[in-house]
Amino acid sequence: MLVTCISFFAYEFYVFRKTTTEKLSTIGKIISTNSTAALAFDDSENAKEILAALKAEPHIVAAALYNKDGELFSKYSADRRDTNFFPKKPQQDGYRYIRSHIDGFEPILQDERRLGTLYLRSDLGGMYDRFRVFGVVAILVIFLSFILAYLLSMILQKSISKPILTLSETAKVISNQKDYSVRAVKSGNDEVGGLTNAFNNMLEEIEKQNKTLSEFNKNLEQKVSDRTEQLETVNKELESFSYSISHDLRAPLRGVVGFAAILEEDYGNKLDDEGKRIISVIKNNTLKMGRLIDDLLTFSRMSRQDIMRTNIATNKMVRDVIEDLVPGDKKPAIHWDIQNLPDLKGDINAIRQVWVNLISNAVKYSATKKQPQIEIGSFKSNGQTVLYIKDNGVGFDEKYKNKLFQVFQRLHSEQDFEGTGIGLAIIKKIISKHGGHVWAEGEKDKGACFSFSLSDNENI
Amino acid sequence: MLNPYVRKLSTARSIVIIVLLVTNLVVHAQRTPSREYQLKAIFLFNFTQFVDWPPGSFATEQSPLVIGILGENPFGSYLEETVSGEKVNEHSVIVQYYKNADEIKTCHILFINLAETKKGEQVVEALRGRNILTVSDAIDFLKGGGMVRFFTKSDKIKLQVNLEASKAANLVLSSKLLRLADLFDPSKNN
Repeated sequence: MLVTCISFFAYEFYVFRKTTTEKLSTIGKIISTNSTAALAFDDSENAKEILAALKAEPHIVAAALYNKDGELFSKYSADRRDTNFFPKKPQQDGYRYIRSHIDGFEPILQDERRLGTLYLRSDLGGMYDRFRVFGVVAILVIFLSFILAYLLSMILQKSISKPILTLSETAKVISNQKDYSVRAVKSGNDEVGGLTNAFNNMLEEIEKQNKTLSEFNKNLEQKVSDRTEQLETVNKELESFSYSISHDLRAPLRGVVGFAAILEEDYGNKLDDEGKRIISVIKNNTLKMGRLIDDLLTFSRMSRQDIMRTNIATNKMVRDVIEDLVPGDKKPAIHWDIQNLPDLKGDINAIRQVWVNLISNAVKYSATKKQPQIEIGSFKSNGQTVLYIKDNGVGFDEKYKNKLFQVFQRLHSEQDFEGTGIGLAIIKKIISKHGGHVWAEGEKDKGACFSFSLSDNENI
Repeated sequence: MLNPYVRKLSTARSIVIIVLLVTNLVVHAQRTPSREYQLKAIFLFNFTQFVDWPPGSFATEQSPLVIGILGENPFGSYLEETVSGEKVNEHSVIVQYYKNADEIKTCHILFINLAETKKGEQVVEALRGRNILTVSDAIDFLKGGGMVRFFTKSDKIKLQVNLEASKAANLVLSSKLLRLADLFDPSKNN
């Protein structure tokens, strides 16, 4: 609107200049034609009369007649006061804009003979009047358009923006409440109605898909729970199986142990050295078998039991375990380097078992060295607390580090180091139940380092 | 006025010189008309632009427009100089001098400058019906049927026009000219 008005004004300004000049020129021609005789016959009174007719055009502020010698012959002034700005001699013919006036010189001709010149001066009041009128009209038009626009907008609001707003409200409600059964209300059969239809169709699709998905989900969950049930059943069976086996194996073992003892005690004197040796072998093997069975039992118990997390004072626990396992007089003396260990959250008995196994391993496998060294410490990695135990014993070939934690897997022979091969498996089981990790690093003859971390998650 | 050399020269020679001077003055007076008659000469020429003659007034398109002086010539050579080279509607303008009305053959504007006004009225009467614009200084010129009279008012030369007379001669006087002139009303005394 504003742009239109401005360009209109500019155009009008240009046009007005032109028309004003033309009008002035026309008036000039008329006056000059009329004044030929007055000039020819030197009648200045008549000339004055003729010029006085210019009063009819209020924007002409001054006029003058010059004879053919360029002398001022007669003059006219709209405002009686200003009579001194007439040009002395007529200038070039034509109309020019000078500051806030238009000055014009019109030749006075009779039959192609030039008798003199007419001078006209007009002010620009006409233009300002015109612009004033335009201004009023423009304001009126703008005002009217505003009213029209307002009315239009009210009408459009009903048929366009309201339905759209309703639609968006519905969309909001649906996505907030996740209720895809809601449908938008259709109002009218126009484009907005079409949009509503499309919207509703989309919702139907979503609902359908949702149904399919949830059914699928249900199916899966059913499957999962079925599987879990099966697994649990199998697990339970396995555990009770291993428990009963170890338990049932114990009985005959006890028998063997007992009777071997009786044999040695009551009939030892009747046996020769070979016989005594054989009994000793029997006893050793039964012992070993007993240990195996114990370890199996422990292992299966660990599997079955749930852990109860409490705060564990690691420093105290470690020192107690060492105290238990390694009495002061063990030879050669082990050099212990125990740092300040952080407290852990875990099952007291289970974690104790872990330390027992780790420390006894460290002691056992570094006993062959002249100066056994065992270091126990901790560090933080990725925000998790890691505990480690390092020894400088026989170590192991890194190639087999995954085998270490398997049940009954041993990397050293029974002759070199006694053991059943179940200690690390137990550790792994316990650490897994705590949601943590255990791993080992080692080098043959240089030593080994066993590290573990527990999960921070209280829920495990 | 007496030339100091006159004393030195003989009386005869001085008389000759005086006579020469006087005639010179007279002749000079004749050649340079007064300002008044200069203006009147210009006016006479200007009439050619504000008067329409009927078609029969010119034999051909090239025929000259004649301004005639009947009687004494008060313009000297000024009128001739004014009209020299000028053309009005393709007709070149010339000046002719007449002693009496019979000499007037083709004429468009006639300036009557006779000593006796009665004679002037006679001429006007004689020229009735012909398409000649009659102009004069005589006071009762228009009463006697003349068409245009020069008179002076507040040092300005003004015109008095007998419109009926001009109409009778089939001459059309431009309104631009008429508005400048006093119109002669035969019913009133001038």
